[in-house]
Amino acid sequence: MIYLDSAATTLQKPGAVSRAVARAIQTCASPGRGGHAAARRAEEVMFSCRTELGTLFGVDDPERVVFTLNATHALNLAIRTLVHPGDRVLISAWEHNAVTRTLYSIPEVEVLTAEAPLFDDDATLASFERHLRDGVDAAVCTAVSNVFGYRLPLAQISALCHQFGTPLIVDAAQAAGAIPLNLSELGAAFVACPGHKGLYGPQGTGVLFCFQPLDPLLTGGTGSESRMQQMPDFLPDRGEAGTHNVAGIAGLLEGVRYLNRVGVDQVERHEARLLRQMTDALGDIPGVEVFASDHANQCGVLSFRAEGWDCEELAQRLARRCVAVRAGLHCAPAAHRSAGTLETGTVRVSFSAFNTPAEVAAFSRILRDIVSNKLT
Amino acid sequence: MVYYLIVCRSLTYAQRTAAALERAGISAYIQRSPKGVSSRGCSHSVKISQRNLNNALLVLRRVGLAPEQIYITAGDGSYREVSL
Repeated sequence: MIYLDSAATTLQKPGAVSRAVARAIQTCASPGRGGHAAARRAEEVMFSCRTELGTLFGVDDPERVVFTLNATHALNLAIRTLVHPGDRVLISAWEHNAVTRTLYSIPEVEVLTAEAPLFDDDATLASFERHLRDGVDAAVCTAVSNVFGYRLPLAQISALCHQFGTPLIVDAAQAAGAIPLNLSELGAAFVACPGHKGLYGPQGTGVLFCFQPLDPLLTGGTGSESRMQQMPDFLPDRGEAGTHNVAGIAGLLEGVRYLNRVGVDQVERHEARLLRQMTDALGDIPGVEVFASDHANQCGVLSFRAEGWDCEELAQRLARRCVAVRAGLHCAPAAHRSAGTLETGTVRVSFSAFNTPAEVAAFSRILRDIVSNKLT
Repeated sequence: MVYYLIVCRSLTYAQRTAAALERAGISAYIQRSPKGVSSRGCSHSVKISQRNLNNALLVLRRVGLAPEQIYITAGDGSYREVSL
């Protein structure tokens, strides 16, 4: 199979990931709940993972690392901490339903969008500044669009938020592990990451980096302050009620170790090469419209449409040729609305460190074959 | 043997504390706090030997992990809080 759906989940992982999951299932008990060796092993896994994540993202304090089920869970924690009924919230034009549905579920929240053309950094920043100047209670911004791979000017957006005293939540679902991120320098209030995409962990893992106090989404046992009927007021316990996904976190630890060993900058360069190759190859196919940036602010993800094709049908035809892509709205109707693709959707290809130029070449041959056969 | 328990608010805080001490060459062992020293319920402590207390306090202050509560073992197996 040619797997080009890493924006949903990376399928190919470092071999150590699955081995660590199996080992944890066999040897790890509940962390923080017992003094025996099996609990100890789980505790070591958890702390090692917090520390490795800290190394990857420039976060010195492992207590700021809250484990979650996925990025959606992490975003819910962050949004429900900072956004209250009646608030005004600014979002980018490229947000996922994990952000927008969560915001719309809070009563009377006014959601403002920093509208801007796709891949236009200047217009994006101008739009953010205009809304921030008018006054908003919080801002939420994806680092990289899950539909178009648009890498937003995050450092400048964060600086603007600081200038206007607006707390910023970053959705790093597509950015984590794909581009270098130093979260201590970024200055966001919260940064949400999935464990199962660019960090190469198993599904059911995610992380919220907290730079402000957090309100719990779930309440329950934490293995700390058990006599008290309120959740602890300290991290990470405040955000981690219930038994952890230790096996998943053991796998995530190995995914993050892989990235720390290889270097995210190396992954970024590799995926950028694949993206350029794919953009050039698809651009040569008659009837294919590629959404590509001319400004090097795109990473890891590429959307396209083919004339005369329903995007879902095309993805099905590709699947029959053993190619995995994702079609439709990608749980991001707001992004499609901004790009003018809401009615058609797109077909999305997305890369990981394990894709190769040969796979890109094979994919473009298969796509050309399918598309040209329909045209003729 | 006489030893000290540095009582920590959470497992992760105890792990940070123990890691900082180990980096400074001070042996540190994480354990669940004895019930008698954790008035708010379950917690974790870092156990260090008597001779290492002064160095441990210096290290922990330097890295911003100053302990809130320290207990010393008594001869009868009970614990007595040490004023800092």
